[in-house]
Amino acid sequence: MYFNANDVTSFMAQKEFIDTAIVPLVSVDLTSEKMKQSGTEADFLLSLTSFIEQQFKGRLLLMPPFSYSATLKDEEMPKQLEAQLHNAGFKHVFFITCDHSWTNIGDEVNIIWLPAIPLESMDKGVKSSILEDQLRQLIPILSTKWAQI
Amino acid sequence: MSNNRVSRRQFLSYTLTGVGGFMAAGMLMPMVRFAIDPVLQKHGGGDFVQTEHKIADITDKPVKVDLKFEQVDAWYKSDVTNVAWVFKEGDQIVALSPVCKHLGCMVGWEEDSSHPNQFFCPCHAGRYEKNGKNVPGTPPTGPLDEYEVQEKNGFLWLGPTKANTLVK
Ligand code: FES
Repeated sequence: MYFNANDVTSFMAQKEFIDTAIVPLVSVDLTSEKMKQSGTEADFLLSLTSFIEQQFKGRLLLMPPFSYSATLKDEEMPKQLEAQLHNAGFKHVFFITCDHSWTNIGDEVNIIWLPAIPLESMDKGVKSSILEDQLRQLIPILSTKWAQI
Repeated sequence: MSNNRVSRRQFLSYTLTGVGGFMAAGMLMPMVRFAIDPVLQKHGGGDFVQTEHKIADITDKPVKVDLKFEQVDAWYKSDVTNVAWVFKEGDQIVALSPVCKHLGCMVGWEEDSSHPNQFFCPCHAGRYEKNGKNVPGTPPTGPLDEYEVQEKNGFLWLGPTKANTLVK
């Protein structure tokens, strides 16, 4: 499900089934050397998370990306967000990001870090097979958490 | 010249009609879109899409077939790949939609080793028989949808989805 009016309505009605929230953390770097890389990361992360959403629509809610620049970055943000999402009824909260520095707080919240793959020059077929490969790596992470209950 | 001048009253009524027209369009557009069958909308007008699969290669074992089209989702445009599970049932080609009838996850063929010969939904362990019939006692409340199928030049073409016709 997406965080939009329709899907949120289904979430409210089906809370016992939709027990997982996915939050993309997107770093926005506006310096001329890093801007392109930053765009690649955003592109990859949003493509991948919408692919995950498509596969597991009935089990998870994909939050809008939380974006920040270097100076706005705050370690407390994911922790607080996680607490709020737990309060809202989500059993499992996953943060997914291409920004390696979040792995610092990996002990406290579930951080899934992935290096960005530049998708911009790929044709659709290659792109979707890459995303499928990435998803296949993520499934065990999700299913071990889901199995814990 | 004075004959051609637009009087104040005319000017007002012109502008108001214009504005009213916009407003009416603003109200009508969403209504028109709601009136269009959501199934057709999802497939860009309900046209058939060519797949890379040859009719001759299809067996009685379900295989995953990709269907590509662009879709605008929530705040992000993505090239969503839709899939179909395609197999032969006697002489008939069957293409089932993988979208679980519970809450919409993607089901897979024989993905749960303890239930061979069934479709399995990883989200809440929903199960379906090969013809798409939901297994009672699992969350899904109806059978999997079916795609319209066509054969052109030996290739499989898939159209819009419709309610399952195999489950009696
Ligand atoms: S979405 Fe398939 S069983 Fe719930």
